[in-house]
Amino acid sequence: MPPAEIWVDGLVQSCIYMTMAFGMVLVFSILGILNWTHGQFYMLGAFVVYYAITAAGIPFPISLLISGVVVGGLGALVEKFIIERLTAPGYGMLYVTAATLALIFFFEGAAGMVFGLQDKGLAMVLPGVLNLSSFSISYQKIAVVIFTLVIMIAMYIVLNFTKVGLAIRAAAQEPDAASLYGISVGRVSVIVMGIGCALAAMAGSIMAPVYIVNPFIGRIPMIFSLLAIIIGGLGSLTGAIVGGIILGLLNSVIAYYVSYLSEFVLFLLVIVILLVRPQGLFGASIK
Amino acid sequence: MKYLKKLKQLWSESGDKVEMPLIELKGLTKFFGKLAAIEDVDLSVEKGEVLGIVGPNGSGKTTMINVISGYYRPSRGTILFNEEKISGLRPDQIATRGIVRTFQSNVLFEGATVLESMLIGSFRQYKTKDWQAFFETKAYKDDHERVVGRVIELLKTFDIFNDIFLPAAGLSHGYQRMLGITMALIANPTVLLLDEPTTGMNHEEAMFVVENIKKISEQGITVLVIEHNMKVLLNIATRVVVLNFGNKIADGKPEEVMNKQEVIEAYLGTETI
Amino acid sequence: MIPYLDYKTLLPRTAAGFLAALLVIFPVFTTNVITLSIFISSGIWAIAVMGFTLVLRTGQFSLGQAAFMALGGYTSAILTANLGMPFWPSFLLAGIVSGIIALIIGLVVLRVGGIYFSIITLALCEMVRLLAQQMEGITHGVRGLIPPPPPPIVLGSFEINFSTSIVPYYYFMILLVAVTSLVFWQIGRSRLGGTFSSMAANQILAEHQGIHLMKYRVIAFTVAGVFTGFAGAYYAHFLSIITPLMLGLWESIQIMMMSIVGGISSIVGGALVGSLVLYTLGIYLSRLPIYNIQYLLFGAVVVIVLLFLPKGTGLIDLWGKFWRKVFREPDEYEIPEEVEAAVE
Repeated sequence: MPPAEIWVDGLVQSCIYMTMAFGMVLVFSILGILNWTHGQFYMLGAFVVYYAITAAGIPFPISLLISGVVVGGLGALVEKFIIERLTAPGYGMLYVTAATLALIFFFEGAAGMVFGLQDKGLAMVLPGVLNLSSFSISYQKIAVVIFTLVIMIAMYIVLNFTKVGLAIRAAAQEPDAASLYGISVGRVSVIVMGIGCALAAMAGSIMAPVYIVNPFIGRIPMIFSLLAIIIGGLGSLTGAIVGGIILGLLNSVIAYYVSYLSEFVLFLLVIVILLVRPQGLFGASIK
Repeated sequence: MKYLKKLKQLWSESGDKVEMPLIELKGLTKFFGKLAAIEDVDLSVEKGEVLGIVGPNGSGKTTMINVISGYYRPSRGTILFNEEKISGLRPDQIATRGIVRTFQSNVLFEGATVLESMLIGSFRQYKTKDWQAFFETKAYKDDHERVVGRVIELLKTFDIFNDIFLPAAGLSHGYQRMLGITMALIANPTVLLLDEPTTGMNHEEAMFVVENIKKISEQGITVLVIEHNMKVLLNIATRVVVLNFGNKIADGKPEEVMNKQEVIEAYLGTETI
Repeated sequence: MIPYLDYKTLLPRTAAGFLAALLVIFPVFTTNVITLSIFISSGIWAIAVMGFTLVLRTGQFSLGQAAFMALGGYTSAILTANLGMPFWPSFLLAGIVSGIIALIIGLVVLRVGGIYFSIITLALCEMVRLLAQQMEGITHGVRGLIPPPPPPIVLGSFEINFSTSIVPYYYFMILLVAVTSLVFWQIGRSRLGGTFSSMAANQILAEHQGIHLMKYRVIAFTVAGVFTGFAGAYYAHFLSIITPLMLGLWESIQIMMMSIVGGISSIVGGALVGSLVLYTLGIYLSRLPIYNIQYLLFGAVVVIVLLFLPKGTGLIDLWGKFWRKVFREPDEYEIPEEVEAAVE
């Protein structure tokens, strides 16, 4: 039975993957595409927070929100000017996939150019640890968990109790019917992309003090959130949450026992899932 | 199965004609979740006939074609073609056995010209194998010439020859459908399944298609036509089958079927006043 | 014109011949190691790109092509460096092994198409990298293996020595690229290529016209695997090193980018143009004092090509248009003779 730290670490990972996966699934449900650049928004969020704190001295919680807004806005722009054009009728999946993959390089390059390649460390905004009987958890990690809870609750409220949320859910289920009711699917797409990217950015922000900040930190979260979605089921928000939890805990536990094999096992798991039950746990089965 | 075929062969050679139906549907059922799109449908299709399949929206007509052509697997029941069980085979396997279908929408190869569509769709028409095609052997070249000739011939026959070098997507709706039918024909069908060939067309275009269907039938190809428009079927169908809510409710000559009470009710919803 | 159907020739044959001749005598003009290296590497990547484009032709988007380069590279490296096998048989085996693995993987994985396939190829690519990192005993982990250069070829009194000059590498690359190009070009313009294109253009229609989707997907994937394996093997011997970090997911994405920028409408031409342009650009940009500008530009170029060039076209199509304008060839469309004859 792995020690408590492993579970805590797993939980922290779960939170991040959950948040990222949630954003990715939102985008997938409305736009019908997998946004390969999702990880880059995580990275950009981390950078925004870094500079907001170190260069402008803005306190962490506000920096967090700023990064969400700024990067979310960027995501919305990407949707409007790139993705929308490439998902017009007549274009296949190929075009958007290729574009979002290429954008990974674009953003990494841009970040490298503007921010430099060296690792940047952000001092713990919540220094210190909570000492429990057998182990200790840093406050930052606790903050991650709390943050995720807050975000999930906020998302739940928005999706179920606001007009925007209603529009989003309608557009996700029946885009044609929704447009008949006056919901502009194009507008909703932009908003959803903004929200999704904002989630990624805030995940990046809250994790910035825990690990380092450099242009490449977006790669792993993207891959892992992709794995989370597959486990949970493409297109299912519940799946994103459950998948995130499973993935985070699994990764931590497996790494504890066989450190070098954990990634390998996870990839293998994903391949098996896609071959045997591609809809994951909660996804809709196709055909 | 082969034994049965041999038996039939001997029997017919002995002078007595035993015409087994070309296609037989037995208890054909397809569920989507809990909903039966078609349920317990029994049907025989005789060689050479033109069979119309009608019914109101949602009656299961397209599902039936999708199951026959292999796009869906039946939930229950079997489909026999020349006494061979074809239910559960892949669409390409079914096409190879001679049952070819058209589509109502989704007719075109994206980005192709009329001619290109026909050429890449004429896979079944070739007699030479892929490796011969790759090395461009003499046998392949002759085969290819023959196929191209056949393609042009078909295009001329069905009168869509005028703009073969232009993108197929630029054709009018009616011509696109005809192209779809011509593509089905180049695949050497014994049985042609037409999915709502005249839907969305004006009278002229519809008659154009009907004329062509007659030509096709005259060449000995068995035709199944899904249609909304009873008038069209009166023109060409030897027999009509009516579906409603996934069940077969009538089967017979067009004039008879059209006047049956259940059929009228199915279309109009209640008793006619 | 289907953006996938190669039967319109984009470069008149004389021009192609001329360029080919130029390429062959190129080392006469310069023995600059850097320039020749760029061509050699571009050629190697071009082969991998051709594989990607071929698989794309069947409607599948593979994010794992770099894995086959790695498989080929490691096979050859293990055989030569660890087991002392001579170069030529081990090079041959590298391609064969890569092809067999492609066949096996293809049979299992091509069943599911679309996005699932792409994700699986991504996962496989990373798994190959992880395996290479972990099997320290065989692959020396992150330090990698050092494959020896090919042995000198003795023709009578004339010796071609790979260890002393880079020029033999150049000629062998030309040979490799020429053979690969010939095969892929012929596939593209043959009936097989038409079958592939029909699968990409409308999978459902193709299947209902009698085309066995799985069979052709596997054929394309395997052929791509074989040649990509050869490319990877040659790459390892050219660089005299192979490490797990050289050929992973990110390289697979770069292969994809070279394909798109070059133009997916032409399997061979697009690959050659795309890899040469992006690779050369990459090398020169990495010299500039601006960090990472090449990645930014790569990404930007791909997105620009996708947004602003007509659907499915790339640089090679621009080149074709330019050529036709210059030489005033009116026909967008070359009508094959058998069609001409039948039309009469």
